[in-house]
Amino acid sequence: MDRRTFLTSPAFAAAVTLSNAALAGVANAAAASVRPGPIDFKANLPAPGGFPDKWICGSPSAMDNTDPPVHVHWYNAHTAILRQNKAYSYEAPFAPLYFGNDRVLLLDEGFVQLRNDWDLRGVVDGCIDDWCRRNNRDPASLELLVAFSHLHADHYAATNQFADRPNTRYMGLTQEEMLGFWGMTNFPEQRVSLDLGGREILIWGSPGHVISEFAHYDTYTQILFTGDMFYRGRCYISFWQPWFDSMKRLIEFCDTHPVTHVMGCHVEISKDGQDYAYGVTYQPDEAPVQMTVQQLRDAFEQAKTITKPGIYFTGTVFLCNQTRGTTTIDKYPYRYD
Amino acid sequence: MGTKPTYSPVLSGNSMSVTGNAYPNGNPDIPYNLPGVRNTDSAVPLHRTTPVTHVYSCEGPAPGKFVMRWTYGSNIAAKNRDPRVQVVQYNEDTFVLRQNVCVHWEAPFTYLLFGNKGALLIDAGATAEALYYPLRETVDAIITRWSQARGRQKVPLTVALTSGEDVAQNQGLVQFAGRADTVIVPKPLEVMKRFYGLGGSWPSGRGRIDLGDRVIEVIPTPGTHKDGVSFYDPYCDFLFTGDLIFPGKINIGNDRDFVASLERIKAFIADHPVKSILGGHIEMMFVPGRYYPRFATYKPYERLLEMDPALVDQILDYARAVQGKDTMLIRPDFVLLNGVSPDQRTSDWPSDVPNIIPPRPF
Repeated sequence: MDRRTFLTSPAFAAAVTLSNAALAGVANAAAASVRPGPIDFKANLPAPGGFPDKWICGSPSAMDNTDPPVHVHWYNAHTAILRQNKAYSYEAPFAPLYFGNDRVLLLDEGFVQLRNDWDLRGVVDGCIDDWCRRNNRDPASLELLVAFSHLHADHYAATNQFADRPNTRYMGLTQEEMLGFWGMTNFPEQRVSLDLGGREILIWGSPGHVISEFAHYDTYTQILFTGDMFYRGRCYISFWQPWFDSMKRLIEFCDTHPVTHVMGCHVEISKDGQDYAYGVTYQPDEAPVQMTVQQLRDAFEQAKTITKPGIYFTGTVFLCNQTRGTTTIDKYPYRYD
Repeated sequence: MGTKPTYSPVLSGNSMSVTGNAYPNGNPDIPYNLPGVRNTDSAVPLHRTTPVTHVYSCEGPAPGKFVMRWTYGSNIAAKNRDPRVQVVQYNEDTFVLRQNVCVHWEAPFTYLLFGNKGALLIDAGATAEALYYPLRETVDAIITRWSQARGRQKVPLTVALTSGEDVAQNQGLVQFAGRADTVIVPKPLEVMKRFYGLGGSWPSGRGRIDLGDRVIEVIPTPGTHKDGVSFYDPYCDFLFTGDLIFPGKINIGNDRDFVASLERIKAFIADHPVKSILGGHIEMMFVPGRYYPRFATYKPYERLLEMDPALVDQILDYARAVQGKDTMLIRPDFVLLNGVSPDQRTSDWPSDVPNIIPPRPF
């Protein structure tokens, strides 16, 4: 399939093609003897899983940080969540890694570009190897999809590390290529389904923080991944009406689908609701990354009352309505009369 | 007799000249034997019997030069292996210490000055933990080497802060607790005033710290901090201003005090020779009006630390312009923030400042 055909055909259709190719491979006796039956991602939902009590969260002195560049947490046997080290980038985004029978989906690639600075590809390959060992699979049989939640560098910086990885496709850095990657023609309303091989990911548009952003829902863990448009910290809302409409889409989705957790890309707030200012490299008491549907609903209720630019605290997140280029939450602490 | 051709650094063909050093190989028009030579003690006798008494009285600023580049952090802060405390010797009696940007983003400058009767440490860094920021150990080592070279048994140390309340400059103070022969200027404002003898004359008066033939003047300069002071060294002709005047985002704590302090500094410069103003941090880039954001741990394009004393006039003018307003004002060498967030941004780019986008390191 050439690039143009791929861009115009939905990714889930491509997955079908690939499964056929894989089935053809099964005819090979050696491969058939190695490959066990497919994992059932449709039974006993939601698949149980857990978040860590504490993520790596930087250190008082960044050069004395001894944590790994990426914190890998296995939410359950088929779902990993990666977090970048704050001493490697203050953005420290979270990135889910979803495994299916045929494909692996990586959502977000952190804020450091080069492999010699942080070996994200090595970490992802390590996760895939672990998973394959546990499930008696051949890593070469899995396709890796390297995508990102939205078009900001702290979410795609390391994409190029995967440029020479075999059996890998990655998302391009334009709105057109992003939509083409998921086979969308009617952004943001259109909801497409990505088949990882028995495990479906639902994807639709979620503009507001930036134009080019998606929401992702994993039917297996039932985690709703809301990217940077809704996360435990400062939701920088660049465009109010598209953001509000995206929130409405998320709420409608939660009305009609079971959601276990709402998860964003960053954490910038402490357990007791203190703001961690933009750029800090140490968040010793940070809040969990996962949120409840109720917290999302509460934020939406409050958003309905917002008519002006400004910073609004919902109890869970800060809604920074068009304040990104102007002000912050904290004040100069040494003001006096 | 033919006229001497004008020396052109750019056309000289010397690569050093292009960087602004007009006489990379020395200027033949300046005499070989300058009076400043008597302010150096490099040739101390090998078997001295008495301590060396240094000559601190000089016409013009004492010889000295910043030739090193400041450490500036690294793209991956966790992998930084620069010294935790960078020591730059300006001259034999004047040291500048910089905290590693990857230990603390404020990367404050700390100054160590020596006189015939003692030493003065101005400011104490942003990190208390000696394991991360061994300020005391470094200062002790410099003092030990210096006292050996000068044949001194004891070098009493005074530790003074440009602001006692500023956590970007006072954290290392705890490392000096209990140090022998050490006086730490007390932090609470009222006690500090009494220490400098300014109990009745704050902020118009001036205090003194006598290091022995090198008398450091203490100038009350509240404005960014209510307990702000600046120090003047008549030997190097430096004015140490902490974060009242520095190439960065100057957060004004009280704009009336800020303007009044700048007026005092301006008057001080009018009747004292000042070679450079040395602040406590660098936040500006070498591109006019551009600065590093808060918490940045990689600052490869920093502006120079030294500020020309003439800049005070400019800062004062703009300080008056922002007085009474909650606003942010960008100038080529500094940014004023009055009554706004310390991470305030603005889309107002001053029309008289070239708008150059600095390269983004990745």
